[in-house]
Amino acid sequence: MTMFRPENLDDALALRAEREVLPLAGGTDVFPARAVDEAWGRPAALPLLDLSGLFELRGIAETDDGYRVGTLATWSDVIRAELPAGFDGLKQAAREVGGHQIQNRGTLVGNLCNASPAADGLPMLLLLEAEIELASRRRRRRLLLDEFVTGNRRTTLAPDELAVALHIPRPPGDVPSRFLKLGSRHYLVISIAAVAGLVALDGAGAIATARIAVGACSPVACRLTALEAALVGRHIDGGLVPLVAETVPPALSPIDDARGSADYRREAACVLVRRLLMESHSGRVAA
Amino acid sequence: MASVSLTVNGEAVSAEVEDRTLLVQLLRDHLRLTGTHVGCDTSQCGACVVHMDGRSVKSCTVLAAQASGADVTTIEGIADGDTLHPMQQAFMDNHGLQCGFCTPGMVMSAIDLLKRHPGADEATIRRELEGNLCRCTGYHNIVKAIRQVATAG
Ligand SMILES: Cc1cc2nc3c(=O)[nH]c(=O)nc-3n(C[C@H](O)[C@H](O)[C@H](O)COP(=O)(O)OP(=O)(O)OC[C@H]3O[C@@H](n4cnc5c(N)ncnc54)[C@H](O)[C@@H]3O)c2cc1C
Ligand code: FES
Ligand code: FES
Repeated sequence: MTMFRPENLDDALALRAEREVLPLAGGTDVFPARAVDEAWGRPAALPLLDLSGLFELRGIAETDDGYRVGTLATWSDVIRAELPAGFDGLKQAAREVGGHQIQNRGTLVGNLCNASPAADGLPMLLLLEAEIELASRRRRRRLLLDEFVTGNRRTTLAPDELAVALHIPRPPGDVPSRFLKLGSRHYLVISIAAVAGLVALDGAGAIATARIAVGACSPVACRLTALEAALVGRHIDGGLVPLVAETVPPALSPIDDARGSADYRREAACVLVRRLLMESHSGRVAA
Repeated sequence: MASVSLTVNGEAVSAEVEDRTLLVQLLRDHLRLTGTHVGCDTSQCGACVVHMDGRSVKSCTVLAAQASGADVTTIEGIADGDTLHPMQQAFMDNHGLQCGFCTPGMVMSAIDLLKRHPGADEATIRRELEGNLCRCTGYHNIVKAIRQVATAG
């Protein structure tokens, strides 16, 4: 195996254009997968393109219209950053990714590029309407995440491209978002279902805006657009139970696997959505 | 081949390693610092936890080359001569280990967690140890040992 460790983006993009390489950020998806492959007698073929020397791609910065999250920003960077309440759910998701040591290495962009259906970063980033910026020697482009992650382990990243940043618009108002995850135990666990939400109430307690996304219940995490539209103007009360039961399951396409059956996932997603709506009633939860 | 230079336990070290060499392999095979263990190789168990620039990482998930220029501390680097680090002493006092395989990683994670959560309560300690697995102790005495250091203030 060979490895390249460029020190600036131009060199990295030149290497990427010249040959087939596997980009490497925090390595928390890449190395465990490689260790498993080697154990089964499938030695790694692709050279690694280690991005960790590209200091220009680090950090989280405020911009005119929101935030720029560098491609090397880790989950720990998100937890430590000063961010408005709309990012609370992203911080909660960050704390759920592996343990502290994984959060110190793993990146948000790596989580997206790996494109696992259970990636915990995507639901919150979908509802924050984040865009991913991709660079190659040919062009730069920005894509909404539903145009970037298109299937289980599938993205629209071209073979000569690297992701360089996430752009996240300033979230609406000062409304806290929330992330809830169900695993088969409390810690260090892959999501069976995960729900992210940002629900704002008006002065009279009716729902003014609702953005809700679900992960691990379809090949790619998705927004619940039918539910979002139906919630506007409603009060948070028992009447929402049938609404959730009607609108959530049809939006999902969960699978049966070792972690749970499709039916269980549908039910779990409904419970998490209801819990999230209840909590948006009762105010800000610790980020 | 890659040439890497870094600081390990306060000493400058350099080595020529194969590109694919992981930090844990550099520590164990090249520098003979075998206190850092490999339990799983897939970033789950935490036996390989070391500090890199003051933060805990799983050294099976870091290429040696990625640690170039970094300041790394391993379990061998925390005692003060013959005096154990308070966390090591607390693990001894509280019988916080049985076979000892997980212990170096536990101790390194525990030091890091108390740095971030001074005086941590039991719930915080249990939550923060999520990346470290122990197959012997049932965690009880590990948590007790860390509480001892947390409350010693
Ligand atoms: C013990 C453990 C627990 C975990 N728990 C969770 C969890 O609870 N939830 C969760 O969602 N994930 C979890 N993960 C998975 C992983 O930690 C996350 O997906 C992490 O965010 C990946 O980021 P990384 O920087 O380590 O990616 P890497 O492993 O470096 O890369 C991942 C993929 O993205 C590609 N890539 C990375 N950066 C770029 C770039 N700039 N341009 C193009 N392609 C790129 C790589 O080629 C690779 O295919 C866990 C992993 C471990 C080992
Ligand atoms: S050997 Fe690194 S986490 Fe298990
Ligand atoms: S003491 Fe044996 S694994 Fe922890």
